[in-house]
Amino acid sequence: MLEVKNLTVKFGNLTAAKDISFSVKEKQWLMVVGPNGSGKSTIVNAISQCVPYSGKVYFEGTDVSGLKPSQLAKNIGVLSQNHFISYGFSVEEVVSLGRYAYSRGIFSSGNEDSEKIDMALKITGMESFRRQSILTLSGGELQRAFLAQVFAQDPKLLILDEPTNHLDLVYQKQIFELIANWIKEGNRAVISVVHDLSLAMAYGTHALLLDKGTVVSSGKTNDVLTAENLKTVYAMDVYGWMQSLLAQWKL
Amino acid sequence: MGKTTENIKFTEHLIFILSVIAVMVMCVCLGSVSIPLAETFTVIWNSIFGLPIPEGMSQSIILFVRLPRVLSVALTGASLSLCGCAMQGLLRNPLADGSTLGVSSGASLGAVIAIAFGITIPGFSQGGTMAVAMLSAFLSLIFILSVTYRLDSSLSTNTIILMGIIFTMFVNSIISLVTAIAGEKIKPIVFWTMGSLAGSTYLNVIALLASLIVFGTIILIHSRELNAFAIGEDNARHVGVNVKKVKMLILISVSALVGACVSVGGNIGFVGLVIPHMARMIVGPNHKRLLFASLYGGAIFLMLADLAARTIVSPLELPIGVVTSFIGSVTFVYIFYLTRKASK
Amino acid sequence: MKTQKRISAILAFILLVFSFAGCTNAGTNNSSNTPASSIQTETQKPVTDKIEVTDMAGRKITLDKPAEKIVVLSAADCEILYAIGAGDKLVGRGEYCDYPEEVNSIPSVESGMETNIEQIIALNPQVVIMSKMAQSKEHAETLEKAGIKVVVSDPQNIEGVYTAIKLIGTIAGKDKEADAVIDNMKSVFSDISAKADKNSGKTIYFEVSPLEFGLWTAGKGTFMDELAAMLGLTNAFSDVEGWAEISEEQVIERDPDYIVTIAMYFGEGKTPTEEIMGRSSWQNMKAIKNKAVLNVDSNEICRPGPRLVNALTDMYKFIYEN
Repeated sequence: MLEVKNLTVKFGNLTAAKDISFSVKEKQWLMVVGPNGSGKSTIVNAISQCVPYSGKVYFEGTDVSGLKPSQLAKNIGVLSQNHFISYGFSVEEVVSLGRYAYSRGIFSSGNEDSEKIDMALKITGMESFRRQSILTLSGGELQRAFLAQVFAQDPKLLILDEPTNHLDLVYQKQIFELIANWIKEGNRAVISVVHDLSLAMAYGTHALLLDKGTVVSSGKTNDVLTAENLKTVYAMDVYGWMQSLLAQWKL
Repeated sequence: MGKTTENIKFTEHLIFILSVIAVMVMCVCLGSVSIPLAETFTVIWNSIFGLPIPEGMSQSIILFVRLPRVLSVALTGASLSLCGCAMQGLLRNPLADGSTLGVSSGASLGAVIAIAFGITIPGFSQGGTMAVAMLSAFLSLIFILSVTYRLDSSLSTNTIILMGIIFTMFVNSIISLVTAIAGEKIKPIVFWTMGSLAGSTYLNVIALLASLIVFGTIILIHSRELNAFAIGEDNARHVGVNVKKVKMLILISVSALVGACVSVGGNIGFVGLVIPHMARMIVGPNHKRLLFASLYGGAIFLMLADLAARTIVSPLELPIGVVTSFIGSVTFVYIFYLTRKASK
Repeated sequence: MKTQKRISAILAFILLVFSFAGCTNAGTNNSSNTPASSIQTETQKPVTDKIEVTDMAGRKITLDKPAEKIVVLSAADCEILYAIGAGDKLVGRGEYCDYPEEVNSIPSVESGMETNIEQIIALNPQVVIMSKMAQSKEHAETLEKAGIKVVVSDPQNIEGVYTAIKLIGTIAGKDKEADAVIDNMKSVFSDISAKADKNSGKTIYFEVSPLEFGLWTAGKGTFMDELAAMLGLTNAFSDVEGWAEISEEQVIERDPDYIVTIAMYFGEGKTPTEEIMGRSSWQNMKAIKNKAVLNVDSNEICRPGPRLVNALTDMYKFIYEN
């Protein structure tokens, strides 16, 4: 579905990502992991065409950089970690913007659009918030509203940039369960940037481990997130620490 | 059911348009010189239907003083308010305005240069000022954007507003410089900077109307994109908005409208800031409704402000900017207080 | 920032008005006129060579002998200095002093709000003549400390102009010349005043700024108002004090017989007269129909100096000889 070839991103003299290649296939959930500054977000930003890069990104065989913004949006959806809200748009208004790429002219708002919007609101459990101002939502509700937006957008590939970074455990679980269900249907795939390695392990089918802008390892989650690999990248015994943390619970 | 709230309803349009017309009629009927209502209507009725108009002062005052002025004022108010609304959506900043971007100052600089160097278009005394003001607003925009692009290729809100402030200061210093070397022409420049819609002609009305039809329409058809920007620029990009193209179109339209308004009436503050703010409290943040509400609201507000300027100290006249700044700043503080209180 | 800009615009405007002329006198003439009459007696040459004057702010100034090096800040006082033949004593001038032409070769100093004390001291004058409104008390005190005498000239009406001429004449040691200038002015004024038809009942409207920038007129208590009276005319805006922005409707309704604009013509486009004649909203007015619109040099009519005579003569010719 997605093929990234020799992707390099430079910010001035700083090389944030260097010569990165990987691919994502249907039904895969690729977890992009690595320590702070390893280039995780940079890579997903490049794929969603938010930062300039060299190298190629192909989506179903087409070079993504040649796509119109609306075509890109129909194929690739993005859920960011932060939303800075200034105005009290209703949840419905936010979600309906997910259908922007499908609108033809100024007058179109077909039945298909309202169905998708209703469905997205229903799946995310935001139906009762439909008319509520997004200024009044909690962090988890807000993230669900934007998740509903990206569901309404109906992309084939969903990119998540630390979607649950500031959320309580309950909401983290909600969001990840929702995405896990979403990926089951049709020709879909997910790439997400995560900090939490246990979440990566639990939900990811594949992983891409980065360090200082280069790929350390990629492949199936179990093959990538090995004790040795993590030890090299994080310079500590991640496995041992995780296990000792969990051991506290076994009273 | 789900869609009914998005667009402004026909009845709402009707209410707004009727209010605009009601205020317009009131502003034509009231003025420094009192003319009986019946006479006012006779003059207007007869001129519309080509009937002979009774000769006299009231004819001159209504047809050539009040009507063109009220129309110019309404169009200026509508344009400035629409610009403010578009900038606030585009930059996701409720304090943004045509002036925040530096476009107003750029337009002022153009107008001052036109006055100082006597640039005029034969047959249209203010044409030179208007053309140079619009051009200067465009050039300011290109200047601000090219510098901003170098600093920050994503044209983020903070960079633009910061550049706008710096540019405004820069332009003000150049205006002072032009004024200083203008010699005897300092007088018209000082009068101009005080801003006046007095002496508006039908030519002004046509120029303002044309710019509002062309550039106002560009803004109005981008209401969905402005919604996306108002939620967040990144979000707009993610849902498929052509961010750079839309941003460019909106900024160009805003600078053209501001240039036209500034050259006709001088720098009139607060309209673009307060009216969209009030409109947002009434119709909500959705630009499909908000842009229209700001358009109508701006026209009504500025007509009333001008009526006050014309009549409060009759036979004297106040500069309209004094009235808008007074009403505007009081209203603004009130709104600010209410929103602060509400958020606690 | 907006308000700041507006305030500075208004300040600039006020400054402009006063630095150009001191055209306005908004009813404050009483205080400045009282000392005026006493000058006549006090400045008679006493036994000693000392010169004692009371300036138009009521301050007493003593000079050992007539001043030889003078700095003048206001354009009108500068014209007076030249009119009494003391132009050679001028060592510095305010930036707006531009008449007669030879004044341009004299070093200029910033005047008004930005009066530059350093520049003045550097010119080493014995006397600085300044107008009350434009310069502050602090400026005067600093100059006095530097040993420079400060004389305030502040005419609020034509009588005040005579006082100013007399005062400057005394300081420059040109009493006789000053008297001659005053006598000439008085004779022209009384001549015209005598010839003018005092019972015509006709009105005149002075346009200070053109329609494009908002109409400003000169009301009661301005030199223009005083000149109108000499011509036997009533100022159409005699109910307005000083300079003020007025409503266009009011001008049309008051329908003056004569219109005098002091707008400057810069050599391009319509002349100020043509512009007024061409206003569509004014076509029904008497003055437009009779082509009774005159453009007067704003410097002649606004500056409280000897050239007020020229402005009045121009207007007289236009009204009575056309």
